Amino acid sequence: MADHHYLDNEEKSVVIVMTSGPSTAHRCATPFYIGAILASMEAEVSIFFTMEAVKLAQKGVAESFAAMEGGKTIIEFIRDAKAAGVKLYLCKPAMPGYKLTESDIIEEVDEIANASKMADLILACDKSMFF
Amino acid sequence: MECNGCEFRPELYYDDQYQIWARREEDGTLTIGMTDISQTVAGKILHVRVRRPGTLRPIGKPVATIESGKWAGPVPNVFDCVIEDANHDVLDDPNLLNIEPYEAWIARVRPSGSVDEALSVMVTGDAAQVGYCERTRREDIHCERGAR
Repeated sequence: MADHHYLDNEEKSVVIVMTSGPSTAHRCATPFYIGAILASMEAEVSIFFTMEAVKLAQKGVAESFAAMEGGKTIIEFIRDAKAAGVKLYLCKPAMPGYKLTESDIIEEVDEIANASKMADLILACDKSMFF
Repeated sequence: MECNGCEFRPELYYDDQYQIWARREEDGTLTIGMTDISQTVAGKILHVRVRRPGTLRPIGKPVATIESGKWAGPVPNVFDCVIEDANHDVLDDPNLLNIEPYEAWIARVRPSGSVDEALSVMVTGDAAQVGYCERTRREDIHCERGAR
């Protein structure tokens, strides 16, 4: 049997910085899918929503569209990632620009955090990815 | 037996979310697979990767990773165990999990404690059937089988 079927990776931490939002719908599912895969391979995965991605954390928005026609909605990808163990952070300084307050935010978000939190996560992680 | 077209086997053991089943083997190992509910939710399964035999799997650490066109995630683990073997037929043709989820096992594991201790955290028989059917109704899951 091909050896590549076995998982051998050591535990790592990965930060995914998500900047894509509803204006680029086709970019909004894959980061959560990759996050779920990484978490199921035992990486400690954090997804940090900033810039337009904070819109995805607004109640009702991620339910309302999909990355491809007829595909799963973005909230379903977000929930799959959460179920696999991914932690979700929301950029507090980005919220006013999109007129968001804490009461607008979906319950899946683990923490509303300052930019310094994102900096800490990136400086401390093994790998970072940007979408 | 079935609920919403999802096959249920009362002789097997299940986690409390009915994602995986386990079967007791004569050599003291347990065989692990996906339920009909899980393979349906995942859709056509494209890749399966199992932890290398000999690897310790504590509670909560996945036995394997499943990737389909629309879903990616772990095959969860509910007791401490060591991976003994992977089903090479499934690794080579993951779609078998969609076709025959209760024959196409994923991994054989050896519990770190006794087999009875490991199975004590799982549900079986009538109690499992009630929970299994309840999940299919709650989430409106209607199982589909076969090559996709």
